[in-house]
Amino acid sequence: MDQMFSRIMRALVETGRAPHYAELARALGLAVPQSRQLLLDVMQAYPIGWLHPDTDYIASFPPLNNLPTQYRVSVGGEQKWFAQCGFEATSVTWLFPGATVRVQAPCLDCGEPVVIEMRDGRLVTVDPPSVVGHLNWGFGPSRGKPPFL
Amino acid sequence: MNLFRSEEHARRWPQFNAGSETGLGFIRLEDLVAFFGTESRRHMLDADYLSAWYPKRAAERRAVLERLGKTTPFWMGTPGTP
Repeated sequence: MDQMFSRIMRALVETGRAPHYAELARALGLAVPQSRQLLLDVMQAYPIGWLHPDTDYIASFPPLNNLPTQYRVSVGGEQKWFAQCGFEATSVTWLFPGATVRVQAPCLDCGEPVVIEMRDGRLVTVDPPSVVGHLNWGFGPSRGKPPFL
Repeated sequence: MNLFRSEEHARRWPQFNAGSETGLGFIRLEDLVAFFGTESRRHMLDADYLSAWYPKRAAERRAVLERLGKTTPFWMGTPGTP
């Protein structure tokens, strides 16, 4: 499972996309059905991510998301990643050591930008300075609620 | 789990849960960075992350939340919350 997890995470970092299990099969020396089962096992072991309902497509593999969200992530001026949510967005920095990671999202209230830039875990830019995190339903009670809230 | 321009902006959000009012659901950005920057997070690219580091997350999260004084079930979740 470690090997598949690492392949998925590194593919996301390198390309901005999560690979399909059939693509992972060859890379891992597995038959395609074995690769599918291994993906299901990985997602069960990493339940903070999820597959798109009724598919085997990786939708979310935090801190990044394969399905676009409003949390656009740029590195080196290139925007090809999305964070799972506003909280996970603050963790993306650890996937790009030594680089400045910019997260930009429209505020859900007014649509004006929320921008943070981080480097090696440290905040470099916060605009506006009043940016705040908000947990709408709580981690326990949030189960069964839309996880992005 | 969103970022807002300020607490006032969050309160104006039509989907704002009144149960998260009185500051309960808010977290300062600096505290959020600590919450999502625990030791295990720094190893997400390690070859053994899933088996060696991910299991440490729950305890790390609890420790940060306790340090931040966010010890309510709202933040701590259920015991098995990863």
